[in-house]
Amino acid sequence: MERQTTADADCGRFAALVHDRVDGTLDPDLQEELDAHLRQCPSCRALEADLAAMKGAAAALPDYTPRAEVWAALSQRLAGEVAVRPRQVWTGTRVALAMAATLVLAVSASVWLLRGPAPAQAPQASAAQAGGPAAGVIQSKEDLVQDVDEHLRIAEEHYLKAIAGLEQVVKGGESALDPALAATLQRNLGVIDQAATESREAIKAQPNNQLAQASLFEALRQKVALLEDTVALINVMRKGDQAGAARILGGVSKS
Amino acid sequence: MDREIVHRCRRGELGAFEEMYKRYGSRLYTVAYRMTGSAADAEDLVQDIFLQVYRRLDTFRGEAALGTWLHRLAVNACLDFVRSKQGRRQRVTDSADDLDALEAPAAGPWRPDAALDRMDLERAIAQLPPSYRRAFLLHDVEGLEHHEIGATLGIAEGTSKSLVFKARTRLRALLRGRETAGAAQPARAAAAAGEAGRSGAR
Repeated sequence: MERQTTADADCGRFAALVHDRVDGTLDPDLQEELDAHLRQCPSCRALEADLAAMKGAAAALPDYTPRAEVWAALSQRLAGEVAVRPRQVWTGTRVALAMAATLVLAVSASVWLLRGPAPAQAPQASAAQAGGPAAGVIQSKEDLVQDVDEHLRIAEEHYLKAIAGLEQVVKGGESALDPALAATLQRNLGVIDQAATESREAIKAQPNNQLAQASLFEALRQKVALLEDTVALINVMRKGDQAGAARILGGVSKS
Repeated sequence: MDREIVHRCRRGELGAFEEMYKRYGSRLYTVAYRMTGSAADAEDLVQDIFLQVYRRLDTFRGEAALGTWLHRLAVNACLDFVRSKQGRRQRVTDSADDLDALEAPAAGPWRPDAALDRMDLERAIAQLPPSYRRAFLLHDVEGLEHHEIGATLGIAEGTSKSLVFKARTRLRALLRGRETAGAAQPARAAAAAGEAGRSGAR
């Protein structure tokens, strides 16, 4: 009986060594001692054989193929992401934002050319690129400036439309957020709004102030980004995904 | 080839994403399926993982192989998911993790020389307590080292080793029990088989 107890205790110690050997991490100095034990212990020999078989089978487990519907759904979601890269935006605001971004990009070159020291021929080409009046129609510089202003106004409207949509979603899901976090987000939105207001006032005082215009669109872009992150946060909080929330908050603090 | 796919993905080519999905989708789906034990969760996760890939593609420097980078992303996403799911369930299912007393292997012989039935092993893995299952999958199936598992799971290397040890001991008991007494815990095994049935083995 005493010998059996000793053997069991030994087996407990040698079991760990058997695992190490199966993993290829056994200390070479213990190799001989383990072999000696295995020679006289059928139980530990069986353990080694079982573990080796199990490890081999585990490493050889085949992969599963997801259903075709998974790619179909994923490709739709990816297409949405690609449309508004690099930010995650959902359907309701995607079109408005894409249009706004396009307008701002297209018009910005015209603004620089019209209001800066532009060569004489440049405004017409830029206006045509901006989707303004038909190419080939000669306009006065004042007309072109008005046209660019109109495009910027439309771009701002698109941003505001996107923001309104996002704000509505945030309002509907704000209860999922921690109150202190919600208050912080509101404060940050307030700071962005203040920046936008100041930019608008600067533009009102100096309609040709390009810095103020750039600042206004940057504020609008930041507001969209923060609202997107807020919506993403609401979604993960609703799912109880704390790690996902931490990731988003990490991204917010970096941006 | 991977470099080319990444380059095209960065340009927003959906066709390139499809190629990446065809090449790595099954691998990532399988990781997700085994880690969550649910085909439905794995399907959602694999979509989320590829969306993450799109958003983080700029951070891929090519220092590791694309497959390795994707695998790491997938494992982390799965662990986040499993942790949040466990949090919601107040760790009910993890209560078994604390049971160090393992079932003694049934007396009947398990034929290690015979090929171990894949489905038996899959079912037995599905029956492991979550922390055992995670460590076992990462070590014996996915091939991570204990120090990598420790870093990934936020546990000590020794804890990873201990979890794998316990997982294997539990699996051995389950597999021996199955051979001698028929399917162990038939309800859970059937559930696991039902889930697996939703996916086609490659």
